[in-house]
Amino acid sequence: MVSRYAGRRLLQALPLLLGISVASFVIINAVPGGPLAAYENAPGVTPMDLQRLQHQLGLDQPLYVRYLTWLTHFLTGDWGYSYATQQPVLAMIRERLPNTLYLMGTVYIVTFLLAVPLGVLTAVRQYSWFDHLFTGLSFAGLSIPTFWLGLLLIIVLGLTLRLFPLGGMATPGADFNVFDRLWHLVLPAATLSFVGIAHYSRYLRASMLETLNQDYMRTARAKGLSQRSAVFDHALKNAALPLVTIAALDLPELFVGALVTEQIFGWPGMGRLFWDSATRSDYPVLMGILAISSTLIVLANLVADLAYGYLDPRIRYS
Amino acid sequence: MSRPHSLMIAIAAILGLSACGGGGAGAPAAHTPVRGGTLTVAIWQEPNTLYPYYATQTVSTLVYEIALEGLVRVLPDGTYGAVLAREVPSADNGGVKLSSDGKRMDVTYHLKPGLKWADGQPVTSDDVMFTWQAIMKDPKVTSRSGYDQIASIDTPDPLTAVVHYGSIYAAYASRFSSSVGQPILPKHVLEKEADISKSDFVRAPFGTGPFRITEFRSADHITAERNPNYREAGKPYLDRIIFRSVPSREVAVAQLKAGEVDAMWNLLEAQLPDLAKQTDINVRAVASPSVERLEFNLARPASPADPSVPHPVLGDVNMRHALVLATPKKRLVDKLLFGKATVAQSTLSIGWAAPKDVHQDDYNPARAKQLLDQAGWVPGPDGIRVKNGVRASLKITTTTGDQVREEIEQVLIDEWRQIGVQLEVNNVPSSVLFGSWSQNSPRKKGNFDINMYASSPDIDPQDTVVQRFTCGNIPRPENNGAGFNYYRYCDPQTDQLVQQAGAIVDQDKRKALYTAILKRVNDAQISVWLYNRSNIDAYRSNVGGYRDDGWDNLTWNAQEWFVSRK
Amino acid sequence: MALRRFAVHRLAVLSLAVLLLVVALVLVGPALSPYNPEHTNLDLRYEPPSLAHVMGTDSLGRDLLTRIMYGGRISLTVGVLAMTVAITLGILVGALAGFYAGVTDAVLMRFVDMMLSFPRLFLLILFSVFFGGTFLTVVLLLGALSWMSVSRLIRASFLSLKERPFVEAARALAVPDRMIVLRHLLPNSLAPIIVAATLGIATAIIAESTLSFLGLGIQPPTPSWGNMLKDAQTDMVVAPWTAFFPGLAIFVTVLAINFVGDGLRDALDPQHVVRSGRR
Repeated sequence: MVSRYAGRRLLQALPLLLGISVASFVIINAVPGGPLAAYENAPGVTPMDLQRLQHQLGLDQPLYVRYLTWLTHFLTGDWGYSYATQQPVLAMIRERLPNTLYLMGTVYIVTFLLAVPLGVLTAVRQYSWFDHLFTGLSFAGLSIPTFWLGLLLIIVLGLTLRLFPLGGMATPGADFNVFDRLWHLVLPAATLSFVGIAHYSRYLRASMLETLNQDYMRTARAKGLSQRSAVFDHALKNAALPLVTIAALDLPELFVGALVTEQIFGWPGMGRLFWDSATRSDYPVLMGILAISSTLIVLANLVADLAYGYLDPRIRYS
Repeated sequence: MSRPHSLMIAIAAILGLSACGGGGAGAPAAHTPVRGGTLTVAIWQEPNTLYPYYATQTVSTLVYEIALEGLVRVLPDGTYGAVLAREVPSADNGGVKLSSDGKRMDVTYHLKPGLKWADGQPVTSDDVMFTWQAIMKDPKVTSRSGYDQIASIDTPDPLTAVVHYGSIYAAYASRFSSSVGQPILPKHVLEKEADISKSDFVRAPFGTGPFRITEFRSADHITAERNPNYREAGKPYLDRIIFRSVPSREVAVAQLKAGEVDAMWNLLEAQLPDLAKQTDINVRAVASPSVERLEFNLARPASPADPSVPHPVLGDVNMRHALVLATPKKRLVDKLLFGKATVAQSTLSIGWAAPKDVHQDDYNPARAKQLLDQAGWVPGPDGIRVKNGVRASLKITTTTGDQVREEIEQVLIDEWRQIGVQLEVNNVPSSVLFGSWSQNSPRKKGNFDINMYASSPDIDPQDTVVQRFTCGNIPRPENNGAGFNYYRYCDPQTDQLVQQAGAIVDQDKRKALYTAILKRVNDAQISVWLYNRSNIDAYRSNVGGYRDDGWDNLTWNAQEWFVSRK
Repeated sequence: MALRRFAVHRLAVLSLAVLLLVVALVLVGPALSPYNPEHTNLDLRYEPPSLAHVMGTDSLGRDLLTRIMYGGRISLTVGVLAMTVAITLGILVGALAGFYAGVTDAVLMRFVDMMLSFPRLFLLILFSVFFGGTFLTVVLLLGALSWMSVSRLIRASFLSLKERPFVEAARALAVPDRMIVLRHLLPNSLAPIIVAATLGIATAIIAESTLSFLGLGIQPPTPSWGNMLKDAQTDMVVAPWTAFFPGLAIFVTVLAINFVGDGLRDALDPQHVVRSGRR
């Protein structure tokens, strides 16, 4: 019946996604300005040229016609061409997506590798100096604006101490070099990981403490359950549940990327593509990114709910 | 100074290489050309396309210009020079012939003999004809201005192209020019493409230029290799130019300082104090035709605005004049732009048509207050002037994310408050400010008070004055928002002068007419011409061969560039 | 009693003191400062911190400390007001869904899902461009995009409270629905609301600063901590203090709010169920 539930949810997701695409299309087109702005200020362009270009881009047609055109093409795999670069939208996305996956994937892995042990340790050794130190650090991670942290790291480690590059994915012109890539990855990944570890470790800590402090745990301990077993077999398993839920909900970030961080570090990813397209009203690219993003969010929600149902025997879906 | 060094300076001075002038702090540029090597230029913005007829960004021109050339170009002194043509056609050398009824004209171009494309194929007049056809057939080209006046092109022999204009097109000399991004295209390569926008050429073009673009890796770099068939023997000196995509200007500056790149394009004035301290970096500030201005809306703001209904505040010429007087242009240039710009007096700052004695009043707030008092604008209790119940309160709009512009706005708020005018900021992203009529751009629809932005006229100003200053070019529902007369300025006499200037070919007569037009426009106080922007580029001291050209990008003479001791 | 539990958390108490200090500074400080935050002085650009200008000057010669204090007024006010909007909307939707359950709940929760499925930054950016960066639009925008988690909280709380005997009793006594919600259900849901409100201010402050950092929020010359950091991106090479201090202000304030919120959570709801946290 899980698969039936999943199937039902997927079907429900379709009108939701359609509605989102309509709403997005309307919003995007309602923003004043439009994609011809780049032509307006180019020297030598005459009003006649602009009218021709307008017609060429199909901008003189009514809104619903343009939406339906987009939709029919989209469903057949033609995501259109960027107004700004004339390249196919899919090609542009395919160019940028790996870069975002690379960064966010690293952040994800590092976050989990560090957040889980930290969360467990601080829960187990509650009120120790270790706990206090890391609680302080994690609150810092929760409270610091990501872009400020990024700027500070650039100023201190990049500009002043010259330990790390100031941005980009690799040293351009140089051949592919794993160490060079990793060197460029450090600062942006560190910025995002710091915040991520703060969130996840606190979360895990809170869940674990909740389980560890339950009455039945006290009973079990009194009956001779070892510390190790208590922590790993019980608390961690129970705490894993909400953790998996949030992890699933954060999955879309893997693809859409942290816009502000990509901006600061000049990371050529999806976040920057979105920002560039939004500021120059590049509708086809915007709709493409939105389609991916909203689909992923809906799917992630579904996965989270299913995982929840699977891991928590108390919940059953009809 | 050691003797060899001063000897080199002397030689350089004799040879008149302006690259040795040294525009910024630091050592003079390298002098002796060195063959070979790679030069890396940092670009903080990536070109959307490298096909000249689709490109709207200056960074696109920066890159494709080293590969594609036109028949003519604009030289640094603002005159026309020949590139692929033997000479610039004019009435004097018989290159321009008017028809017997004076209503049409023919322009004849003679190609230099022996020209080859980068792939070895010969350049012929067929390529000229093909270029024109490509422009007219392709719906995606940015501008057909002028080319739509061409009735036909004849190619009597492989080295001659006769362009038959169907009218008197005054700006003929600026067509097929490298400097406006209208180079000659290789017919044998592009004629087989059904849709040029889908071809590889738009990402890796090649032509007659000193280099050919061989690789375009998105958000990473663009590689250009030496063109073995380049027409000047021994040139280009460099083997390769790499345009490195950097995330921001700040990173570009850092890489330039660290020696990771050799040159950097388009700095901001705000970065100058940092670079001024570097002894191994030259900064060049080159006057460009771009003029930053405050554009007044003479009509009441609405969407769309009705040009016959005057703006409640700006409709009064005395108010506009007072605002001109209350703008401290010199101080803005000296302090915010570190003196790397010049105060502007009209929309034409450089070039053959730039007038010598058209001015705007200097900063004089006392006179501004006087003017407003006399015009009946009485200061209210909060210091802001009122006339007939209308408060002197205005909104200024410019592009978001531009620090210098925001700083200027804040200085203006301060200054104008002292003469009793309230100014508020209402910035929007550039795609909104420069957007189209159908997308409800406030500038197009006339729903603004004051816009601040920069615009560059062409080397030939006719299009600019037509589109910006004539009654027929006020964007209206009737003409579908066509036209760039955002001021909503309408003066029959100006219209007449503009028409005259477009109907003759004599450059001196046209220049006199443009002077008259710009004088009238300034008298009407429709704009505050703030400053003439400079293109600011920076080079490491081991880079040489570059020459300033405000009409073009730094790469316009890339065949002369070299790097020493790399 | 809750107060005593709160007082045990020394860190929370300390943070509360810090917060009150910050609030006092932004309220009173501007009057005490000899500098005008909007008056430009082009001869004093990029002055490093000194006795005359404790935090230095910015790119237009304006005293940074004064601007931070004025900016604090804006940032804090936007934070509180945006949170208020979010809480109000969240309570409205959550109460309706939780109380009436059934179809109402299903429809409203689908609506919440749809709102959550929109990439938040996407909407934020587009709407900011559309509506402009005035104070009011920023507040409404931030509020309109963060009420969803509150509504889920309220809904969950109402759903469980609804089954309690005292509600049944009230129903039996024909107490109108409105009164049940206002007099019984809401007050009992207060704990999570208060905690959510406190943390909501922190989120709103960071959201406003991010928006202004991108150039879409509060417009110059009105200072806000976020738009002061925007210019710092270029200025930081020659004047790193312009990047350091405004960000520090945000950091300290948000940190203090988070500690206070944590303390409140422990004080008011010691058996609080761990909720899903979002970045």
